Amino acid sequence: MSIRVLFSFVKKEIKQIFRTKEMLILMFGAPLLQLLVLGFTVTNEVKHIKLFIEDRDNTELSRAMCEGFKHTDRFDLVQQQRGESSTIMIQNWEAQLVVIVPQGFGRELRQNRKPDVQFITDGLDGNSAAVSLGYAQGIVARFIQSMLQESRQKYPFTALSSMPSQVIVSQRMWYNEDLNSAQYMVPGIIVILITIISMMMSAMSLVKEKEIGTLEQLMVTPASKIELLLGKLIPYWVIAMFEISAVTFAAHFIFRIHFTGSVAEMALAAGLYLMTTLGIGIFISTITDTQQQAMFFSWFMMIFMILLSGLFVPVQNMPYLIKKLTLLNPMSFMLAITREVIIKGTPLRYMFREVAALTLYGFVTFFLGVTRFHKTTK
Amino acid sequence: MNAEYMIRTEDLTKVFGNFTAVDKMNIEIMPGQIFGFLGANGAGKTTAIRMLCGLLKPSSGKAMVAGYDVRVDSEAIKRKIGYMSQRFSLYDDLSIGENIRFYSGIYQVPYKVAMERAKDSLKMVGLDLSMKVMTGSLPLGFKQRLALVCALLHDPPLLILDEPTSGVDPMARRAFWNVINSLAEQGKTIIVSTHFMDEAEYCHRLIIMRSGSVLVDDSPRALKEKYGSRNMQELFLLLAGAVNE
Ligand SMILES: Nc1ncnc2c1ncn2[C@@H]1O[C@H](COP(=O)(O)OP(=O)(O)OP(=O)(O)O)[C@@H](O)[C@H]1O
Ligand SMILES: [Mg+2]
Repeated sequence: MSIRVLFSFVKKEIKQIFRTKEMLILMFGAPLLQLLVLGFTVTNEVKHIKLFIEDRDNTELSRAMCEGFKHTDRFDLVQQQRGESSTIMIQNWEAQLVVIVPQGFGRELRQNRKPDVQFITDGLDGNSAAVSLGYAQGIVARFIQSMLQESRQKYPFTALSSMPSQVIVSQRMWYNEDLNSAQYMVPGIIVILITIISMMMSAMSLVKEKEIGTLEQLMVTPASKIELLLGKLIPYWVIAMFEISAVTFAAHFIFRIHFTGSVAEMALAAGLYLMTTLGIGIFISTITDTQQQAMFFSWFMMIFMILLSGLFVPVQNMPYLIKKLTLLNPMSFMLAITREVIIKGTPLRYMFREVAALTLYGFVTFFLGVTRFHKTTK
Repeated sequence: MNAEYMIRTEDLTKVFGNFTAVDKMNIEIMPGQIFGFLGANGAGKTTAIRMLCGLLKPSSGKAMVAGYDVRVDSEAIKRKIGYMSQRFSLYDDLSIGENIRFYSGIYQVPYKVAMERAKDSLKMVGLDLSMKVMTGSLPLGFKQRLALVCALLHDPPLLILDEPTSGVDPMARRAFWNVINSLAEQGKTIIVSTHFMDEAEYCHRLIIMRSGSVLVDDSPRALKEKYGSRNMQELFLLLAGAVNE
């Protein structure tokens, strides 16, 4: 392998990348947009849920509990139209959650019985339904809790205060205390981004040479296919590595997400992962003839990889067979590593399984891609 | 096989599926010759050329190019040939100088030597432009000439030009053939494919192909005498007719 030949390819490729407007937009504009859009909007938090409270008790205690729903931006209280039932309200999308406080709520609470508060929620959007239900239950639970404490102080010798204290669950979300969605998304964005750049860009740039006929010209030169492939791919590898740092920096300043792990270890994992995606890129270029086809194939691969990566749907929630399929997906390992290293600062030695998988996939895919790429046709 | 031939093929054949694109081609090309591949669209010129360049594996038969067997030493052959494919294939988004620099890097020609050669070739083909001009902005005739300059950077003994003059105006075509002539005078062997019959007159020797077969293989003068036609155009029509019957 000749350094000069390799260098000639790299230099040419970089010039071409920086002269193609579409490439620049795809590589540098799109990431920023993705970071902002996904970071700010893709969120598990649910706010401004339209809530209707049907207070059938209407006592001091029940009203006090309803107060709890008023001082939060998670719920917007809606009023009932005359003659309308709660069910109708949900049907007509006037309310997303209905809380029904039963008659005798206050009395039962005083008598140390457990009043049944009913929640009705619109399950159409299952995710926000579950989340809003959680919030509502929390508010009711906290109210009852505070009632208990209060009465214990006021009436230390009554039945209520002698009740054995209930188990109170207190939650703390480590590493992401306030369920910050950006923190959850940023590692995912990094992984998606370097996948696009390495897999799609490399496939497209190889196919482009096929399309315009320059590949044939290169094939009659003495340059070996390894020189050709490495020369063409190294720029994308470098740009992908650069983008990881750029996105990490941006996340630091925009979302206050701090890179806690080892930069060198992150680079190592990314380097291994990029071998896989570049290998797939070469592979795609060998089965397609036009840039459009290459783009289509890469998107198809990307979507498949993203769905099976655990980014939007946690791997634990997947059916058994699909769960096994994620083991074939290099992106799921890379995502796990990226999250651990960036957010938790976990050293790579605790992720032996993931690193081993990336190494295996990296070498196998790259080898297969290179083998499939021919200088002579049949 | 005799080493004095630049190219020699024995029943060289290419089959795509059940379609025979080149059928038992037997040709001998001497060093310093301008050798024409003539034939209508789909005659098999490009397919034959691609086998000679080592781009395509022959289905059967044998071909020796510059002393190497195309099946065995296709990589060695690549150092001996300058190739211009049927489609223009330099980089439009690189400047003239960058294209030249890139190919001299790929062929590992020392930069100074490459630049000297490029300067000479550019003068020879009559391209008098700044090295900074973008290749994409050139008219096709200029691009073809630049492609020839790039194909000559590593000073190959054998030049293989696939339809170098298609889409080029008559004046530029004439100029291009003058260049090919002077290259032959310098001792280079040149294969040119074309479907312009008038260009056949410039060749030292030529073959006319049809559906993968070589119909005739001789010098233009011998062919005209043999068939009693005034020019190659007439000859071609005559031959085409004969085969049709
Ligand atoms: N890879 C391939 N697979 C199948 N058929 C092919 C392939 N390449 C060429 N052919 C067929 O082989 C025949 C000869 O093609 P070739 O390109 O060699 O002709 P040509 O003489 O160069 O024609 P033109 O003047 O149009 O360039 C054509 O019918 C073409 O369709
Ligand atoms: Mg052709």
